Amino acid sequence: MATEQMLPETLRTMIGLPDSVLGQAIAAFIAAFLVGNVMLAYTGVAGPWAKRKITAAFTDRIAVDRIGPFGLLIIVADAVRLLAKELIIPENADRPAYDLAPVVVAGSAMLGFAVIPMGGLGPLNIQLADPESGLVYVFAVASIATLGLTMAGYASSNKYSMLGALRAIAQNVAYEIPLVLTGASVVLFTQSLQMSEIVAVQQQTLVTVAGFSIPSWFAFVNPFAFALFMIANLAEVGRNPFDIPEAPTEIVAGYQTEYSSVYFVLIYLGEFLHIFLGGAIIATLFLGGAAGPGPESIGFLWFTAKIWGVFLFTQWARSAVPRVRIDQLIEIGWKGMLVLSFANLLLTALLVGVIA
Amino acid sequence: MGALQSPGCYGEYGMNPWIAIGALALVGVLIPVGMMSVSALLRPSVPEDSKRATYESGEVPTGGTRIRFNIQYYMVALLFTIFDIETVLIFPWTVIYGSALEGGVALGPVLVPMLVFITVLVAGLAWAWHNGAVKWAKSARSESQVQAKR
Repeated sequence: MATEQMLPETLRTMIGLPDSVLGQAIAAFIAAFLVGNVMLAYTGVAGPWAKRKITAAFTDRIAVDRIGPFGLLIIVADAVRLLAKELIIPENADRPAYDLAPVVVAGSAMLGFAVIPMGGLGPLNIQLADPESGLVYVFAVASIATLGLTMAGYASSNKYSMLGALRAIAQNVAYEIPLVLTGASVVLFTQSLQMSEIVAVQQQTLVTVAGFSIPSWFAFVNPFAFALFMIANLAEVGRNPFDIPEAPTEIVAGYQTEYSSVYFVLIYLGEFLHIFLGGAIIATLFLGGAAGPGPESIGFLWFTAKIWGVFLFTQWARSAVPRVRIDQLIEIGWKGMLVLSFANLLLTALLVGVIA
Repeated sequence: MGALQSPGCYGEYGMNPWIAIGALALVGVLIPVGMMSVSALLRPSVPEDSKRATYESGEVPTGGTRIRFNIQYYMVALLFTIFDIETVLIFPWTVIYGSALEGGVALGPVLVPMLVFITVLVAGLAWAWHNGAVKWAKSARSESQVQAKR
């Protein structure tokens, strides 16, 4: 089982807090603050800078290059610019829900990172908690975001927002089940829902080719499940070809049409956090977590590379793949993905049964 | 692998994992609220006529949003509920599947019940599919457009 010490416990012994519930809670808060801010920093780099640079590269432009090296200081400039914008609240807005929606969207995306094993960084093992129900927990909290989007779309009292929210519900409902079922097929291999255990099982050698031992990452063991999960994940995070909840050419900006200033920042932040959370789930379930060449103490760098890899994939899809229509989306989800994910589950069960 | 921890014991190291999860929930609320507070200090407020009007591509907004709409997706919402509960029932099976096989149970008794369960569900999906429940547009106008294209 879990042999690595979790980050809060490591910090508690380092600082010398007592082994009481209060001491644990303080250490846990410090650890959670650190992890939360690292993820915030990633979204900070991704949103104002990396996304623009990647899209520009795809469309043969240069994008931000005026402030700082490679235009990197645009992150600071944009943070100040967006926070200092006037907050315009539409006159018919449903107030408590309108104000709460950005917190729900941003907070729920962050909550998923609690159980992700992010690997070692020096003497630290960066993982906040490792409950036995880790995988179910992460799927559960990742789907709270839909509630936030619904609140945003409904409370804005704007027709575009309402359409965006309805589309977001339709999409997330249709792709949630393929996503979770494909995740369940991984559990057939691991026999555990605990995230550290899921990563540990993937470290066994699958085959040795010309002296290189290839680990049994599930992307190698079952590429079909990996492909299904990547597609369902694109729909869950709402990127092309599944970006119809926002569809700028059809419904302005969907559920976030009426959001400005810091509220817009929070919804945007929540979306990017969600992309990174999707990347973290993919890294944990299919790409061996923080595993990679080199010592375990640089595992966090591998984990970072993997989640940025998934981010790059979403941006690539965003630039290169056309958007599907809403009816096509529903058909792909319910008639294609769901049936394929059932087939994948049963095939995986047969595979495990034959090997065992 | 496979062995279960006794309740109330969180391994050789560590604390109750839900303390850390609760802490992250707190951070997940504090960071947005902190950003809102900073923004409240920085941002101007310039109330102008019609500034807060609902955005409708620059036109004067007409009608409200709280209208009755044809929620064709109602059937799919029901389907989702059924399949979502079904995934909850599949998860325990996936966890014990491997260890049951290792424990010497034959493949049939472990796999066939789940096969039957999924067959029942897929039969339900096929029925909904046949009835056109998993279809976005069902209005007469859109149907006639589809017919015209064919």
